[in-house]
Amino acid sequence: MTPSTIALLVLLVVTFAWSGYRYWRVLRPLTHAAAEDRFDQPLRRVWGVITNVGGHTRLLRIRYAGVFHLLIFSGFVVLLTALVEEFGRGLFPGFSLAAIGGDTWIALLQDIFELLVLVGLAMAAYNRYVSRPERFRGSNQRDATIILILILSEMASLLLRHTFQIAEGHDPSAAWSPVSSALAGLAGTVGLHGAAAQPWAEVFYWTHILAILIFLPYIPTSKHLHIFVGIPNIYFRDLGPRGTLPDADLSQPSVGVKDVHQLGWKQMLDLFACTECGRCQDVCPAFAAGQPLSPKLLIMDLRNHLREQEGIGPRPTAAGGSQMLGDAISDDTLWACTTCRACMEVCPLHIEHIPKIVDMRRQLVEQGRMEHQLQDSLASLARYGNSFNQSERLRSRWTRELGFTIKDARKEPVDVLWFVGDFASYDPRVQRLTRSVARVMTRAGVDFGILYEGERNSGNDVRRVGEEGLFEMLAQHNIETLKGCQFKRIMTTDPHSLNAIGQEYPRLGGNYPVLHYTQLLVELLERGDLKPNREQEIVATYHDPCYLGRYNNGYFAPRRVLELLGIKLHEMPRCRENSFCCGAGGGRIWMDDGEIKERPSENRIREAVSLGDARYFVVACPKDAVMYTAAVQSLGMEGRIEVVDAIELVEAALEPEVAPVAVA
Amino acid sequence: MHIAVILKQVPDLVEDVEVDASGIDIDRDRVAWKLSEFDDHALEQAVLLKEGGGVEVTALALDAAGVDQLLYSALARGADRAQKVPTPDRRTDAPRAAAALAPVLRGMGVDLVLTGVQAADDLNGQLGPILATTLGWPHVSVVSGVQLAGAAAQVQQEYSGGRMATLEITLPAVLGVQAAARPPRYVPISRLRQVTASAQIVSAPLAAEAAPLSTAVSCLAASEQGSRAHMLEGEPEEIAEQIVDVLRERGFVGARG
Amino acid sequence: MKGVLVYIEADGDRVAPISFELLMAARRLAEQLGGPVEALVASADPEPLAEQLGAADTVVAVTSPALAGYIPEAHQEVLVDAIRLRQPAVVLVGYTSAGIDLAAGAATAVQLPVVAYCISLRAEGNEVVADSLLYGGKLVATTRTQLPAVFSVVAGAFPEAARQPGGAGERIDMSTPSALGQLRTRLVGISSAGGTVDITKAERIVSVGRGIGGPDNIEAARELAAALGAELAASRPVVDSGWLPRERQVGKSGMTVKPKLYLAVGISGAPEHLEGMRGAGLVIAVNTDPRAPIFQAAGYGTTCDLCDLLPALSARLRESG
Repeated sequence: MTPSTIALLVLLVVTFAWSGYRYWRVLRPLTHAAAEDRFDQPLRRVWGVITNVGGHTRLLRIRYAGVFHLLIFSGFVVLLTALVEEFGRGLFPGFSLAAIGGDTWIALLQDIFELLVLVGLAMAAYNRYVSRPERFRGSNQRDATIILILILSEMASLLLRHTFQIAEGHDPSAAWSPVSSALAGLAGTVGLHGAAAQPWAEVFYWTHILAILIFLPYIPTSKHLHIFVGIPNIYFRDLGPRGTLPDADLSQPSVGVKDVHQLGWKQMLDLFACTECGRCQDVCPAFAAGQPLSPKLLIMDLRNHLREQEGIGPRPTAAGGSQMLGDAISDDTLWACTTCRACMEVCPLHIEHIPKIVDMRRQLVEQGRMEHQLQDSLASLARYGNSFNQSERLRSRWTRELGFTIKDARKEPVDVLWFVGDFASYDPRVQRLTRSVARVMTRAGVDFGILYEGERNSGNDVRRVGEEGLFEMLAQHNIETLKGCQFKRIMTTDPHSLNAIGQEYPRLGGNYPVLHYTQLLVELLERGDLKPNREQEIVATYHDPCYLGRYNNGYFAPRRVLELLGIKLHEMPRCRENSFCCGAGGGRIWMDDGEIKERPSENRIREAVSLGDARYFVVACPKDAVMYTAAVQSLGMEGRIEVVDAIELVEAALEPEVAPVAVA
Repeated sequence: MHIAVILKQVPDLVEDVEVDASGIDIDRDRVAWKLSEFDDHALEQAVLLKEGGGVEVTALALDAAGVDQLLYSALARGADRAQKVPTPDRRTDAPRAAAALAPVLRGMGVDLVLTGVQAADDLNGQLGPILATTLGWPHVSVVSGVQLAGAAAQVQQEYSGGRMATLEITLPAVLGVQAAARPPRYVPISRLRQVTASAQIVSAPLAAEAAPLSTAVSCLAASEQGSRAHMLEGEPEEIAEQIVDVLRERGFVGARG
Repeated sequence: MKGVLVYIEADGDRVAPISFELLMAARRLAEQLGGPVEALVASADPEPLAEQLGAADTVVAVTSPALAGYIPEAHQEVLVDAIRLRQPAVVLVGYTSAGIDLAAGAATAVQLPVVAYCISLRAEGNEVVADSLLYGGKLVATTRTQLPAVFSVVAGAFPEAARQPGGAGERIDMSTPSALGQLRTRLVGISSAGGTVDITKAERIVSVGRGIGGPDNIEAARELAAALGAELAASRPVVDSGWLPRERQVGKSGMTVKPKLYLAVGISGAPEHLEGMRGAGLVIAVNTDPRAPIFQAAGYGTTCDLCDLLPALSARLRESG
């Protein structure tokens, strides 16, 4: 054994031992974490890894960053061969990959990709130090710099090693290594060829080895851990329906999560997978409003807290020092979330921010750590089944001005059972839209009925606030009422109710086909039950509600309605799955606004107005109608854009009802 | 330190309160009952004092419709024990309530009694002063702050005009609470369910017959005093228009133009 | 037993207005029942107060340094002694903080019935027929009570008796109850609301009640107040919930205001609130419940929802300049 072999062996053993210990310290909490069942549907899971990792689907949504990441990533994959070669040669003299093309096409690929990685690094450095995107605000810049430097060292030393090997003159892969050969030529011009090149080859060999051996133990407490954790994290992602939250066992004395060790293993794995890229932060409406929530910082803070608890990381403190709930993550941070799901939609590593937030909220609710307006709303929901502190009897008061009676679905069978929703029933600003829906459906001849006082708040946002017991109480009441009814399907004007009934009620025994009213409108329009006058020269923009769009894939129906009305749709930049939340979800509408820079709803209206030609801002959710109308008023833009619900456009396009003419 | 809180349910005024066929009482079957607002504050104040340490809280209520649920929610709110107190003829007006409660309280070793300053239906007097005088204890009503100080309590009593007095009262005593230091807290439904499933409500023995009152309701009717307002109708825009017209007429708003 | 005994409340050296209302009620009852109107003054220095009570036939005074400030226990002892000594047919106490302490407490001590929240009183033989407001002012209970009895009277139910200086015809000095030497209650101090705003001086007021729903909607009310040049005020539940400070509270346990314009938004009109604003000039009430008692105290009203009405009204007012 040569001295260098022994040296390499010793280095390897020491590094692996030291790294192994560090990886173990960092990842050990996973072994004690709560169970989670993510072992189903392996083929589907693998496919997700292939598209997300191989295809870089989410990463490429930010084109520039996706491209340079792809360069660096694919470089790493290809250069694994170089890793094998370098260590193989170092430990086993004579080791070579020549038999499988190590001197030919593998060498070519290595050469090209070394260059590509360097290009990628240059692009990355430009991004981080010159462009400085906002999403990096709060991310650990030092960690990022160290990583870029280490990658640069690896690439540069690898390339230079090949260069000087070729310059030495005995490298069989020279013909297949254009970049290294060119550099070798350059080296030759300063006399570094032949024997003079050999020591440099050695130097860069050891530089490369050292770079790797320094990187390896650095990774566990760096965001670069994602290279190991990322693929498992994507594999074990949540395949369940988007609109459900993790179950809570109410028979236990306590629900929710207040200590980081109560997290399930996949929830914890998320913390190690985060690359601090900030895509989630960029799309978060709470963050944009200046509230103390950034999904990225939430994950980073949880990760840092876990490290602290384990006594490892930048600033290890004694275990059991600060609390997760309240110290590491503040109450205000948790309450600021609207549960719009934009963060989870864009995260390249499929990190699950919302389940963690809701699980922590469950503890806050249990401990009574809620602002009083929220407490009052919950008390109202518990007592009256609505958040308006109004009697159940008044739920159907909006029907009085209709001039006709709507069927009581509790008493007679109907084709469509219309679950009206709280805001549509009680809020005077929305009641006129509800009446519009009633009139249009009657004109179309739909056989529908409502539950009158039998309806309660669907419980969707109560669940998102973390009050599981109240959610179950409301849901069970609604399901009991529905059990006594005969209908073919449920229709609702409220996407939050849609989500609750369609996604959350099944596990409580309520399995009903449910559709959004825009979907019903498409049916009625396409079938000819509604005949709109299509001669309208209107340009409108449409806002995708979070719980219809992202949560329930309801992008098509509202757009089809507009199309069938002959309305020209001018999409906003943030549309479909990138829609920007109005700020009312997750129980936020029951909370005080607090200190905000700019309301998300106002941010959104300005986006719509900047389109230039959109006369109408079309909504399909009662809370959106309320929030955006208020935003237009507070921005003083009444003349520039008008908030209309899809149903208003439909009704306006119908021929006025013709009264029977008396024969003279 | 043992604090007793006396709770009672009253009709929920969010709903309509109708007079029954007899014409002298409300229709008790069609009424939605809820914890009297000021009793709610009294309970909250008791729990806040308990959180200061060294205090046990017992919630008491007369045995009337819904009393079990009332006491379970008191336990879920933080009371340590709950007790039902029966009355001979199920009447819950203050004089008879005091007669039933006094022997129970005497037997319990209570240092401080908190109850709401008044209730929506306490035609025959407020419970706090009546109970205190029956027990021979001092009392203060319209209390918006309580601090415990050994064998005494410091309390803030509200007067009109935003003025407030601080009094020191030797225990045992009775306080009629108007407002707790913080608004009453919400109890998660899951805790309420757990308490309902697991807790015990003790029932006190039946008290002796109390003397009948020499006052009786002869008629109960909807309130119609004074002249009614001129009601404005129409869309919000129209009503706003009418209001501005009225204001202009009376000189509150300048003439148009 | 004879006559009517009135418990007099004082604000320093000045007899409180409600006491003059009680003296008027007492006079009317005494005319029906026979017997004198007697005014009970408990004070460290009853002279200045007795001076103002010419509307009574007799002033019954108890003088003691223990009565320097209002202490419930002390005043209850005095009232109890006075009832035992003077044996009135009717005892009148005002529905105030002190009234809540004393009416029911003293009645219990002397084993007399007590009827609360009275807005009218009329004698019939040896009974008094009283109307009382219950359930937040939504229902009126008419009671018949055998005398002797104690009645607690709501402010504003009776007009004030004329203030005749020179004191009443007769003056009786009652001896100090011995219990005053063994009080278990002590007055530590008195404070005022303080704060930066004095709503009692405002000529126009926009007042919000529980119906406002929450702090967010208070913004709309604030804007309306600004558009009207009015001060913002609130009923007790709004203040107790922490949405507005106590210095803006109108009502029995808040401020009494007499503005020229009072806009009541989302206020139900419980007697305790009405008491604080009944002297207002033009009252306009907004409440979705058509049976809310506030409409009996208002000149104009609407059941339009305040979420719609407030912005519309503010906009109109800004246009009108």
